[in-house]
Amino acid sequence: MSFLLPKLSSKRAVDHVIKTTAEVVLVLRFGRDEDSVCLQLDDILAKTSHDLSKMAAIYLVDVDEVPVYRQYFDITYIPSTVFFFNGQHMKVDYGSPDHTKFVGSFKTKQDFIDLIEVIYRGAMRGKLIVRSPIDPKNIPKYDLLYKGV
Amino acid sequence: MAPYECSVCRRTVFSSRKKHVYEKGHRQRLESVLGAFGEKVAAARKMIKAASVVKFDPREHEQKFWCHCCQEEVQRHTSDGNVAVVFGGMLAHLYRPEHSKAVDKYWWAHHAEAKLKARFVITQDEYERFKSSVTKALENYEETEDALIKQVAGQIREAEQSRMEMLRTILEPGAPPAGGDDGVRSSSQQPPGRIISPADSEGPGPSNRQTLPHEAFVMAGAPPLTFIGQQVASDKGNVHTGALPPWMSPDEDDAGDPQDIGPSIEDFLKHKEKMALKKLPPNRVGANFDHSAPTDEGWLPSFGRVWNSGRRWQSRHQYKKEAGTKGGKRKRMEPP
Repeated sequence: MSFLLPKLSSKRAVDHVIKTTAEVVLVLRFGRDEDSVCLQLDDILAKTSHDLSKMAAIYLVDVDEVPVYRQYFDITYIPSTVFFFNGQHMKVDYGSPDHTKFVGSFKTKQDFIDLIEVIYRGAMRGKLIVRSPIDPKNIPKYDLLYKGV
Repeated sequence: MAPYECSVCRRTVFSSRKKHVYEKGHRQRLESVLGAFGEKVAAARKMIKAASVVKFDPREHEQKFWCHCCQEEVQRHTSDGNVAVVFGGMLAHLYRPEHSKAVDKYWWAHHAEAKLKARFVITQDEYERFKSSVTKALENYEETEDALIKQVAGQIREAEQSRMEMLRTILEPGAPPAGGDDGVRSSSQQPPGRIISPADSEGPGPSNRQTLPHEAFVMAGAPPLTFIGQQVASDKGNVHTGALPPWMSPDEDDAGDPQDIGPSIEDFLKHKEKMALKKLPPNRVGANFDHSAPTDEGWLPSFGRVWNSGRRWQSRHQYKKEAGTKGGKRKRMEPP
């Protein structure tokens, strides 16, 4: 899917994107291009990227190329999706224990669009954490336990 | 001689009882009292032919009634705490010889209609009939209870069976996962504890990509995700522990390119964009975040040192002077 969405494959490129993306929600998909669930998610991202072009900038990040980010965001399952706004990490309460990232694929395009809109509006109102509008049924729940926390 | 007190009229009569019982008011009141009491008794007498036995309900079956003849409160229904015989208590009371004596006395004292007297007393054979009908009703009740219990048990058994079936269909292993040629294996369908030998993996994937058997998927039917290993680094924190984010830490190979003198077209465009941003809400997240700010190790604000003595500005100036002269003081404090 990297021919449909811009791809980042170094820590520097990710840094640069996080620091320079302004006033839109930055979506970073950490994963691998050949993974089947990543492909599902990439399909949803690619199809919605044009509609969301005024609200979100979507980038694909190869998780093997950025061990620093993998370690920082504690990415144990791919795909994991992380959101930023103006260089700030946006947290989302999905109803799961982890608010820092979305693990797995969205069920529908509309779910992703709704989530981006909620994050965008929340960030515009100065919120650092927003509540996910997605039906809890459609959020895949995985066993994520960070050691020692 | 004490004046007569009429219990129906609830007043003292100073003339005499004999005259009072013919008074119009007394007769009316007596009629209404006997009418109300007669209705209750008639309802109880219906039960002689067809007694009814129901489940005991403390609110319903602990009611009492006032027997005007005996001047006392009597239990309306009989029960053993489990089942109740409707109007059983009332009929038993009406059968008692004390009651029939009291009825005779009442009728004499209040000069009531003699025809009605038989209505308020129950004869022996009436009571026998009632007893036999009660035994019949009790048998019927037990039969229906048994049937009800059997029905409920059948329902419970059915639900249990359907649950077991559901459990079995879930636990049955699905189709084996196709793939593995991309070097990525999903392990959710592997039974826990199974050891994956290296010969099992067709693809040239690194061994740490094989997922651990302990991972648990809570959502049924979700596609299995690829596990890429626990990201545990003891020295560095992560997003959960509030460590310095990677985009704030400096790059190792940061080569600063020399800038041209004067504003470039990019700078101008950036400035124009910044002007456009003034319309957005001023308190949004990261509104005054400097996207081009260089971040170094000293990103934490420094406020000098602990202020112990002297004036605040003196200690601040002293700190600044020391920092200026020694230069690399901060660097020395860093861990190697």
